Amino acid sequence: MVQIVISSGGPGALAQWVLLELQGQLEPRRSGALGGSVLGDLHYTHEGVPVLIVGHHILYGKVVQLEKPFAVLVKQGAKEPGAEEPGAEEPGAAGPDVSYTVTALIKTKLLFKTRPKPIITNVPKKV
Amino acid sequence: MRSRAEVDATLQTAKVNPAELLPVVHCLSFGPQAAAGECCLLQLEPGLCAEIEAGCSLVIRGEKDEQAVLCSKDKTYDMKIADTSNMLLFVPGCKTPEQLNADQASCNIIHSQIAGFSNNYWELRRCRPKLKKLRKLLMQNPYGGPDSQKDQASTFSKYTTEDLLSLIQASEEEILHHLQVIDARKIEGYWRILEFDYEMKLLNHVIQLIDSESWSLKKVPLRTCLEELGSLEPTEMIEHILLSYGRKYFDDAGEVYFEMHEDKICRAIAQMLLQNAVKFNLSEFQEVWQQSVPEGMTTRLDQLQGLALVDRSSRPETIFLLKVEDLPEGNQERFNSLFSIREKWTEPDITPYIQDLCAEKQTTGVLLTKYARCSMQNGVKVYNSRRPISKQILF
Repeated sequence: MVQIVISSGGPGALAQWVLLELQGQLEPRRSGALGGSVLGDLHYTHEGVPVLIVGHHILYGKVVQLEKPFAVLVKQGAKEPGAEEPGAEEPGAAGPDVSYTVTALIKTKLLFKTRPKPIITNVPKKV
Repeated sequence: MRSRAEVDATLQTAKVNPAELLPVVHCLSFGPQAAAGECCLLQLEPGLCAEIEAGCSLVIRGEKDEQAVLCSKDKTYDMKIADTSNMLLFVPGCKTPEQLNADQASCNIIHSQIAGFSNNYWELRRCRPKLKKLRKLLMQNPYGGPDSQKDQASTFSKYTTEDLLSLIQASEEEILHHLQVIDARKIEGYWRILEFDYEMKLLNHVIQLIDSESWSLKKVPLRTCLEELGSLEPTEMIEHILLSYGRKYFDDAGEVYFEMHEDKICRAIAQMLLQNAVKFNLSEFQEVWQQSVPEGMTTRLDQLQGLALVDRSSRPETIFLLKVEDLPEGNQERFNSLFSIREKWTEPDITPYIQDLCAEKQTTGVLLTKYARCSMQNGVKVYNSRRPISKQILF
C-alpha cells in the first residue's frame, strides 16, 4: 500500500500566505512562461475592500476568512519521469519515496467575483 | 520592479482616487517557480489545522485500487480532488487590511511574488476507518494456543503495529482501538486474534475455577487464577481472557480483581452453541443456553444483538447465527446483503446490523431513510429494500 507522509516541516511557526481567487484564467502578455511576469497592483480601500489592477482591468473584491483553511503542500522526493500537470496532482499517483511538506497555511482569501471593469486609457477627444 | 511613481500613474489611469486607499500597495508578480506546479492545496477540516500547527504529520494511505484516504493521528478522511472554474493564486507575504492598519510600516510598496497557482485542491471528508480488513488479516492466522501445531508450521503472515499501519486505511489510534474491541493481543510482538475454540477453552477454565472456588462473579482474583491455571495455560493467556471478559480493578490492598461481564460471557456461550447448526428451535436453544452459562448469570435475547437473528415468522420460532462483522462494510452493500437475507425488517431487528455504519453524529434512522423503504405490516413498521434484491438461499 502507498503511504505518503505530509509533514509540517521543521520547527518554528508555519508561514501564513493569502489566497487570491480570480474568475477565469490568466494569460501572459508576453508569450512564454508566466514566471517573472507582473500580475498587477493590489490596493485596499479604507473600508478594507481589496482593489486589484490587472492589465487593463480593475477588480473589486472582498476579504474572506476561510472556514476551512488550506495547507500549501510541496512535493518532496523522486520526481516522476515526464512532465507533470501544474496543480493537478493525483493523490496516490506517486513513486515510492514521495512525501509532502506543508510549506504554509492559508486562512484568508481575497475573492474577486465581480466582473472586471475595463480601464479605458485613450479616450479620443472630439476633433 | 515597479516603482511608486508607476503605481500612482496606474491609479490615475484607472481613475481611482488614492485618498480612498490605504497607503500600502502590493505589487504582485509571478515567482520564478510559480508555473512549475510544485505546490498544491489541501483543504483542512476543523482540527487538522491546529494539529499541523502543532507539528503533527498526516499520512495518505491506499492500495492502487483503493480510493485514497488521509489519516491524522486519530481520524480518517476520504480524499477527493475538487475542481474550481476560478483561478487560485497563493501569495506569501501578502498582508490583509487589518494587518496593514495594525502595522504602521514605513514602506509603502510590498513586492510580493506569487508562489504558485491552481484551479483545483484536495478536499477531505471525515469517514469511517476501513477496519474490516484488519479483522480479516488477523483471522487468516488465529492463535490456537502454544500447543497448536498450526502456529509453528504456519506460512501465513503475522502483523506488527507497523505492518498494520501500512495495510489498513485508518489512523493509528483507530487501529489500536479496534484491536482492543476485537480482543486482539500482542503475542511475541505480533497482533493475534484467538481461535474461537481456544478462547472458549480458556474461558471455560476460568468459569470452572470461579465455580469450584465459589467466588462472586464480581470479585475474581487475578493472582489465584494465575496460580491455579498457570499449569494448564500460559499466564499471559489467562490474564488476556480475564481482560477480555471482565473489568479489571484494584481493591484497597492493591490486589487485582475482575468483575466478569455477564453479557459478554452469555453472548460467547451462545455463539458456541449456535455455530454448530444452521438454525435452532428458539425455545430449545434458550433452555440449553441458560443451562450452559455460569451459575448466577441470566441469559437474555438482547445480549445477542449483532450476533444472532430470531425468526418469529417460522413455526416453531427459530434462531440462527448472523454476525455483523461478516457482513459487507459499505453502506449500500450492507443493506443489499441484509435485504437478501430477509425481505422485511423491523427496526429493532435491523438496528444492531447497521449501527456500525453510522458516521459521527449520524443515526440509524437517517440510514434507514436513505437506504430503505418503510411500510406497515400488521400494524408494525417494517423496512424493505428500495430496489429489487435477489433473495439469498440460506438453507
